[in-house]
Amino acid sequence: MRSRTRLAAAAVVTTAIVASLVGCSSGGSGSSSASKDFTFWSFTGINAKADVQAYEKAHPGVHIKLTEVGSSTDTAQALTTALAGGKVPDLVLIQAADLPKFVENPDNFVDLNTLGAKKLKPDYAPAIFSQSVAAGGQVLGVPTDVGGLALSYRKSLFAAAGLPTDPDQVGALMPAWQDFLKVGKEYTAKTGKPFVDNAETSIFYQEIGQGSEQFYNNHTRKLDYTNSQVKSAFDTALQAVDDGITANLTSFSTGWAAGLQKGAFATVATPSWMLGTLKTDAPATKGDWAIAKIPGGSGNWGGSYLAIPKRAAHPQAAWNYIKTSQSPESQLQHFLTSGSLPTTTANYTNPKLLGSTDPFFSDAPTGKIFTEAVANMKSFYVGPDSGQIGTDFLNTIINVENKKISSAQAWSSALSAIKQDVAK
Amino acid sequence: MTVTATRRLRPRSRIRESVFERSAPYVYVAPFFLLFAVFGLFPMAFTFVISLFDWNPIGTKTFIGFENFTTLFSDPRFWNAAGNTLSIWIMSTVPQLIIALGLAHLLHFARLRFANFFRMSLLVPYITSVAATAIVFAQLFDTHYGLINWVLTLIGGSPVNWLAGQLSSQFVIAVMVIWRWSGYTTLLYLAGLQSIPKEMYEAASVDGASGWRQFTSITIPSLRPIIIFTIITSTIGGLQIFTEPLLVNSTGGLTCGAGRQCQTLTLYLYEQAFGDYKFGYGAAIGVALFIMVVVIAAINFALSTRMKGSRS
Repeated sequence: MRSRTRLAAAAVVTTAIVASLVGCSSGGSGSSSASKDFTFWSFTGINAKADVQAYEKAHPGVHIKLTEVGSSTDTAQALTTALAGGKVPDLVLIQAADLPKFVENPDNFVDLNTLGAKKLKPDYAPAIFSQSVAAGGQVLGVPTDVGGLALSYRKSLFAAAGLPTDPDQVGALMPAWQDFLKVGKEYTAKTGKPFVDNAETSIFYQEIGQGSEQFYNNHTRKLDYTNSQVKSAFDTALQAVDDGITANLTSFSTGWAAGLQKGAFATVATPSWMLGTLKTDAPATKGDWAIAKIPGGSGNWGGSYLAIPKRAAHPQAAWNYIKTSQSPESQLQHFLTSGSLPTTTANYTNPKLLGSTDPFFSDAPTGKIFTEAVANMKSFYVGPDSGQIGTDFLNTIINVENKKISSAQAWSSALSAIKQDVAK
Repeated sequence: MTVTATRRLRPRSRIRESVFERSAPYVYVAPFFLLFAVFGLFPMAFTFVISLFDWNPIGTKTFIGFENFTTLFSDPRFWNAAGNTLSIWIMSTVPQLIIALGLAHLLHFARLRFANFFRMSLLVPYITSVAATAIVFAQLFDTHYGLINWVLTLIGGSPVNWLAGQLSSQFVIAVMVIWRWSGYTTLLYLAGLQSIPKEMYEAASVDGASGWRQFTSITIPSLRPIIIFTIITSTIGGLQIFTEPLLVNSTGGLTCGAGRQCQTLTLYLYEQAFGDYKFGYGAAIGVALFIMVVVIAAINFALSTRMKGSRS
């Protein structure tokens, strides 16, 4: 008798487990929430919560389930896994570097033209908007912000080396990257300290963001291993390493953050979205930083896009959010509170944006500098392997900085790494 | 299904009762095997299937047979990752087991006040999250502002760029593994030591055996089953090391640095599958890793059982 009750108990447990397993797999699809509500995946560290709360306040009855997945890369990886066979969000933020992989497979996303993106298109800077358009004409995402380039520098360190400290004069001192190298050499000779945080992001990534063509041929959309603009950016970076003007501190590393505070280097290239990083990593240096035009002219690094996955349960609600939060007015408001640069061209002539200054950066005219940085931006084709290729170049420069390889071997070493990575 | 079966028990024939009695144990263990089949066996088999495809998770998939494996064998990055994994494993496991054995011996025989406090505190590194450990160690070993380099310069050395070098970055990871797992292994050994009768040691000391002689002739032979167990588990764990190399070089992306200096096999798998969206290739790395673990664990097992056989 006892064994029978035990048997029954075990049977109940087993069926319960089986039932819960089955429940797990089917529970995802049966959603019954109101169609106004939607789920939203964003990055950590960009205060997406504030935007979501503002939207909820302005639209009573709408509830947004925000998930801050992780870094931009983490979010793209989570999205990939979800697209491959999981529960997808209704709305997702994708960083520009991760976008081409998704643009290459447009069937995973809602073509925003079907929701009315055609009408909005003229509002946005063409060079930025075009990056989310697939070969078949589908629009995958709406650009939320753009990483206009600029150079941040420490005034006290510049003054100590006998360099000018006024943003206009600093910009005029280094109009091209060769001038930057020359000033850097002078600075390092005088002070014995490195001039720039690193060569890979502060020089190479900036210069390749300023060209008219990058790793791919704009017309054939094929990889081009002989592009002279990329080679020139690579050579500038290697020259900086050989001149000994870099601190060899990788962006966003702990040593880099400490170096910002301690003045381990005098300059760092800062796209508009990086200003916040300086403020959080080196709060004590407030007022000692200033911002000038970056050598080499207009360009872009980074920026993000909002997209709606194909299997989203509430695409219309998500689209309403995109439409409202990315209108020229909302983007301006967002710039004034957070500093990320709008993608809507109307704002580039708006006196409110042009006149804005930043006290952390000695009231430098940030609005004007960043707007000029994107105003004449050239549009180049970004391909599916662009992100990986950029990383391969970056890693090669770091290897030179770490003296693993000589600068003479660097180009061929970078090319062989790239060929391994893009080989299918 | 089984519920209805129990209901049909009403005609209480003895034969039936004994059938159910005999089947009961299988039902008891069924939950585990069900879960194992769903979460263990199926993913494993499915990995083998994926490894035969060129599979983009959000794009196309095409059957390519064993092409992923032929690419793998000529891929220098794979061999680099395999070499890194082996060297990190050796650098971490050997010292870890020796330290644990010494510590266990000490904790068992030394007359310590608060012995239980020391025993329990050994577990603290083990219950600390790996992520926290990795962040703290990355700061300790930072080139410019790290504590280790500060001490090095204090005693007249020159600072080392720990995470940039191949061996030095692997050393940092090995130190993390040792720090985390030594206490756990020590407790296992300690439990083993406590089961050795005290009389054996007393008899040995009456016979005039030194402390070292007692250690080699009594302690080690008695602990042999536990030593074998820890060798095998640390082999399996060590070859699959992932979180430490991922987090220790946080700006190095999925390659653990610009030169892939401390990228392990699992990290390479993750990079290929989830960073580059090559599921098929990632799965092939997983299969290769699986075979490696099985082979090394088998060699380990053979060696240690043979050692056992020849000695006893």
